[in-house]
Amino acid sequence: MIRLIGLNKWFGKHHVLVDINEHVKPGEVVVIIGPSGSGKTTLIRCINVLEKADKGEIFVNGVPVHNPKTNLCELRQQVGFVFQHINLFPHMTALENVTFAPAEVKLMSKKEATDVGMDLLNKVGLAEKAHSFPGQLSGGQKQRVAIARALGMRPKVVLFDEPTSALDPEMIKEVLEVMKQLAYDGMTMVVVTHEMGFAREVANRVVFIDQGRVVEVGTPEHFFTNPQTDRAKLFLSRIL
Amino acid sequence: MEDFSLPVLLNYLPLLLSGLPGTVGIAFFAILCGVFIGFFAGLARVSLNPVIKHLATIYVEVIRGVPLLVIIYLIYFGLGSFVDIPRYAAAVISLGVFSGAYVAEIFRAAVESVPSGQMEAALSVGLTRGQALRKIILPQALKRMVPPLAGQFISLTKDSSLASVIAIPELTLTTYQAITMTFRSFQFWMTTAFMYFVLGWVLQRVARYLERRFAVID
Ligand SMILES: Nc1ncnc2c1ncn2[C@@H]1O[C@H](COP(=O)(O)OP(=O)(O)OP(=O)(O)O)[C@@H](O)[C@H]1O
Ligand SMILES: [Mg+2]
Repeated sequence: MIRLIGLNKWFGKHHVLVDINEHVKPGEVVVIIGPSGSGKTTLIRCINVLEKADKGEIFVNGVPVHNPKTNLCELRQQVGFVFQHINLFPHMTALENVTFAPAEVKLMSKKEATDVGMDLLNKVGLAEKAHSFPGQLSGGQKQRVAIARALGMRPKVVLFDEPTSALDPEMIKEVLEVMKQLAYDGMTMVVVTHEMGFAREVANRVVFIDQGRVVEVGTPEHFFTNPQTDRAKLFLSRIL
Repeated sequence: MEDFSLPVLLNYLPLLLSGLPGTVGIAFFAILCGVFIGFFAGLARVSLNPVIKHLATIYVEVIRGVPLLVIIYLIYFGLGSFVDIPRYAAAVISLGVFSGAYVAEIFRAAVESVPSGQMEAALSVGLTRGQALRKIILPQALKRMVPPLAGQFISLTKDSSLASVIAIPELTLTTYQAITMTFRSFQFWMTTAFMYFVLGWVLQRVARYLERRFAVID
């Protein structure tokens, strides 16, 4: 579903991503973990080209993302993205946030988009908030709407960038529940998160990144209980 | 100081007031013109095309560096020597071209004040940059433009007094005329100042109202 081959990214002289190779198969859930500034956000932003990779190849569902001829809008319609800072459209209701893009790019009729949108809001447990504006929702509710928005375009894969790290502790659970459900439904997901409970429960693999390099890859069970590298050990001892 | 004479003032008030439609009219059409120019120049300022962006930047910087009075003379006498241009149109174009540069800056600042996450979120769901600008960024930016635009409109209304130099019958010119006939400068300038103030105040109220209307919950 996603294939990264020799991916490199520089910000000026700063080598932020170094020779990343990864393959995410359909239906897999991959958790990316690593210290602050290690390049996790940059990595997933390269996959939907919010950030442009400088070297290497990226394929999403067979589409060569690195090819300048690739239509980025069509690509991004297949790749949902959930932001750490949520970024809902404040001038639209929860429902409009979900239905706007599918209707605008003519993926669906307005009516169809509304049906799909209500369906998705229902799925994230917010059907009754459909006509509320983001300003009237709690942080957790907003992030759940944002997940519904990302699903609105019927993406093949959803990328999450620390979706719960800007939320109050009591709201984290409701968002993780929605994400777990999505994983059980078979969605392909790449999730940057430090939520170990989530990783243990649904991740097929944990990818540990430090200073732009993949340092260790393993099953959650293996990675959290028996990390192989010193850097992973040090990192885990800090966040545990 | 000259003594104040109410009868004289009342006598010449109709003359003074006859300039009011001129002031309001010029300001109104100049504002339309300025918003039109400023909207496109502002769009150009946030364009990804470097040529378009630079042209708009040159326009904004040149206009902001030249006094309005000089622009009025340039357009009236300069343009007027090529085409037959009515004074009224010359005044409206001058003020419009002048305020367009400021409106463009207001536009650019408002667009840039929308958090970058909004554009990213819009792109992430597969919208084009144009769709994102039109449907996501602009609605939020327009709301932020209301207060500074109101300020710009008020400035423009006051600046329209400079149109008197090309003999447009607006408030300042009719004030000159009244004074020429009565030799009572102070009381007429006071009255005129008051009228400009009232115009500005009315615009201020309208702006407040619009601000409240446009305020969405965020
Ligand atoms: N737009 C940018 N310009 C320059 N440097 C950047 C930019 N974005 C990120 N960086 C740098 O690249 C490195 C990786 O950043 P990134 O945001 O990917 O890290 P991260 O692993 O997501 O960190 P965090 O856990 O704090 O979110 C950091 O050193 C950061 O300062
Ligand atoms: Mg990050």
